[in-house]
Amino acid sequence: MAISAGPRQAFRGDVLVRAPVLGRPRRSTTLRQEGWLAWGLLAPALLVILLLVAYPFFAAIYLSLQDKMVGAPGRFVGLDNYLALFRDDVFLRTAWNSVVYTGVAVALKFVLGLTMALILDQPRRYNNVFRTLLFVPWAVPVVIVALNWRWIYDDLSGFLNNFLITFHLTSDIISWLADPRLAMACVIAVVVWSGTPFYSMTFLAGLQAIPKELYEAAEIDGASTIQQFFFVTVPRLKTIFLTTVMLSTIWTATNLQFVLILTRGGPGNRTEIFPHLAYTTALGARRLGMGAAISLVFFPLLVVLIVLLTRRMLRPADE
Amino acid sequence: MGRTTSGSRRLLKWVGNTLLAVLLVWTLLPFYWMIATSLKADREIYGFEATLYPHRPTLAAYARLFRTTPFVKYVRNSTIIAVGNTLASLALGCLGAYALARLRFPGRSLIARGLVVTYLVPPALLFIPLFSVMSFLRLIDTHQGLILAYLSFSVPFSTWLLMGYFRSVPLELEEAALVDGCTRLGSLIRVILPMSLPALAVVTFFSFTQSWNEFLYANVFVNSVEVRTITTGLSLFVVEDVFFWGPMMGASFLSTLPPLIMYLIFQRWVVKGLTLGAVKG
Repeated sequence: MAISAGPRQAFRGDVLVRAPVLGRPRRSTTLRQEGWLAWGLLAPALLVILLLVAYPFFAAIYLSLQDKMVGAPGRFVGLDNYLALFRDDVFLRTAWNSVVYTGVAVALKFVLGLTMALILDQPRRYNNVFRTLLFVPWAVPVVIVALNWRWIYDDLSGFLNNFLITFHLTSDIISWLADPRLAMACVIAVVVWSGTPFYSMTFLAGLQAIPKELYEAAEIDGASTIQQFFFVTVPRLKTIFLTTVMLSTIWTATNLQFVLILTRGGPGNRTEIFPHLAYTTALGARRLGMGAAISLVFFPLLVVLIVLLTRRMLRPADE
Repeated sequence: MGRTTSGSRRLLKWVGNTLLAVLLVWTLLPFYWMIATSLKADREIYGFEATLYPHRPTLAAYARLFRTTPFVKYVRNSTIIAVGNTLASLALGCLGAYALARLRFPGRSLIARGLVVTYLVPPALLFIPLFSVMSFLRLIDTHQGLILAYLSFSVPFSTWLLMGYFRSVPLELEEAALVDGCTRLGSLIRVILPMSLPALAVVTFFSFTQSWNEFLYANVFVNSVEVRTITTGLSLFVVEDVFFWGPMMGASFLSTLPPLIMYLIFQRWVVKGLTLGAVKG
């Protein structure tokens, strides 16, 4: 009777009615046991996260609403720190610099990374060796990258000036990192050098996952190499493009090591960016509250990226 | 038409090879300059007699590095911290990932999401208040303090990565073990872990290299030479106003070796791990 009326519903109802009698008690105890076990297994990891990420995050927000200095109790000042920031010329300069720094670096890394990946995807002898070599900067600690380049840029004895003068390409010494017109470009070049391999690694993996038949089919249809690139390659890599760019934007925008070691924000704040300004304000000028405010100002922009990325990174999971 | 395609293909190949050469120079030049500098005597490094390659190669810079700087101490500290962090993130990551991949409990997907969010919150945002946490726990200037601080990014990453991998281990294998009387932990160790070696390799690689390369926390939470790591130690070579570029480039070269060697060994799995979701810019 039930089956003919509405098979699925009736069947489901049936099980529900019978469940308490047969399966349920046993099932719920194992479930409860599993629950305890799960929380036990997760406890250390959760403790780490609560103590070292969640708490400091909210503490940073609270701190940014105080005029706290190192070693002195803070007074609650509401949004004063933030309001002061937007009247501060150095801060506004920093905001603009950060946009240029992040935008240009990410764009260049993308173009260079894609070029690298496309080249390494061509059939060639010893390609494995070339790939390993081109990806090496990725394994080098950022501090060492920055120090190394600072030495390359050195006015008197660095490689660049040394090279240019030896081959008579310039007669004057160029102060790469001290020249207000060159400093930002020089810093960005280092960021690009260090970060490009990450892009080419993910792009190359994406390229190699594209079935060759797609290109053969496109070629039979008369598509040129450029058309193949835009109508076969790009659509297939779209997801990887987005994920890589979003991750890299977060990391690029919040990395202070390049600026700290290469220029310390100079000359004349030309290379000052948010993370470095927060660092010098909190640790150099000892203004913890203001430092926290600076590091939080750009957070709303990052939240968008973090939310989108979280969704992407969990997609393969069956949540 | 066939001819033009083969022609354009040849052109592409030519363009590709040229660009490859340019990119190789761009990538390898800084390494060349680093190693070349470390093999020069000071006379060839500075001033009018500076050279583009070491005319008289010498290991004097390395001798000075080992004799007159705390380089060895820095390397020791970095090693203790990187190894400690790697072991801890493997342990915490495996346990947490197993719970998230195999056990059913309310709040599971929320925690998985929380992990990824945690991983994406940048240290530049957290270091100021984290300093008070570290002081409160009396962990400033200790190896344990930095190991703990680095867990804040290595644990979310390793848990997330292992979770994805554990899920791909067939359920039937584990069920068989459970039916045979294996406990949950027993089946994690005997069934799941042996099948997840590539993922464990990736976690090892990232935990180790990220700890080894980290700078911000190491700089803020450590002051004493006895605990200082190689990255902060090196950056202080410059700040002290005397520029020992010879020993410094030698130190740079030597301290790049551990992550570099690990990269060469783990390459294959690491690239796969990256495409799973990607790490470090």
